[in-house]
Amino acid sequence: MKLKTDEVLADLIKRSKKVQDIVSGYRLLNEELLNLKPNADSWSKLECLEHLNLYGDFYLPEIEGRILQAKRPSWHIFKSGVIGNYFANLMQPNGNGTIKKMKSPEDKNPAKSELSVTTVERFLKQMEHLLRLLEMAKRVDLTHTKTSISISKMIKLRLGDTLRFYVYHIERHVAQGERL
Amino acid sequence: MEDTLLRELLTDSRMLTLPKNQFLVTEGVVDQHIYYIESGAVRVFLQTEFEELTIRFGYKDSFITSLSSFINGTSSEFYIQAIRGTQVRAISKQQFETAINTDIRYLQLYNAILEGLVIQQLEREVDLLTASPSERLQRVLKRSPRLFQEIPSKYIASYLRMTPETLSRIRKIND
Repeated sequence: MKLKTDEVLADLIKRSKKVQDIVSGYRLLNEELLNLKPNADSWSKLECLEHLNLYGDFYLPEIEGRILQAKRPSWHIFKSGVIGNYFANLMQPNGNGTIKKMKSPEDKNPAKSELSVTTVERFLKQMEHLLRLLEMAKRVDLTHTKTSISISKMIKLRLGDTLRFYVYHIERHVAQGERL
Repeated sequence: MEDTLLRELLTDSRMLTLPKNQFLVTEGVVDQHIYYIESGAVRVFLQTEFEELTIRFGYKDSFITSLSSFINGTSSEFYIQAIRGTQVRAISKQQFETAINTDIRYLQLYNAILEGLVIQQLEREVDLLTASPSERLQRVLKRSPRLFQEIPSKYIASYLRMTPETLSRIRKIND
């Protein structure tokens, strides 16, 4: 699938800024509301954010390292790969607006960690980092720069697909927190 | 003399009781108090995008503050959190100013407190520039022998910029 590089990045920046706006609003909520869980199995707002923080711990340094080492300069077309496109679309809501339920890997399950207002600030710092990376990504080739993924070192994704997957994944879980 | 003045100042100040894990100061808030710890212990930390970095501890009978916020009136970059049930006296900058205006000797007290805080900053800076992890631990233990009785080791490890595993290994070898 061929996409225009500048449109892909502009879209991801727009989505990321929207998430930033929503979560900045969490600073005004009290801790009770941030920790609210309708039942033991579902996640609170803070747990949704911490789940994303745990992904950020892996993906942000990984993406930054690959961008800094990228050999090819930017190209106006980004070709999405088969696997990358599959992962990115997996994160998207269905046609009727519902999301497909999935089980998170155990090491990315936030349910046992200590969470407080610092979780929100940590998330917002990661979002600032992400926005810097999306700007840096404008200078490199999104198709031929490869990145590792968190579940397997064997599989490499195209940088453009990793960025799409990563941003859609954030949107997915922020929307999950918003339904509470 | 400074002790008597300090006692007077403390008597006039607000006493705060913090349960374990309660925040005294949070990031983004302007806080112009110096806290005197009557009982318990607190830690000052910086929340980065990846981890919490513990940069200072406050024990019984010592002072703690978010220094840049106190001096500049800017919003705090740091969190101050109770490590266990803790009681602190909050002396506001305003209270210092009023006291100094009524009795110039309070200026000496104020200077002594600030000097103490500056010296702590410098000690920490040298700690961080000390390459050897075991030497870093020794330096801290020398000035705070009660460290391990007062503070959980996960925070000590963060303060010393090492993993909890490394800290535990160093302690075993040096015992």
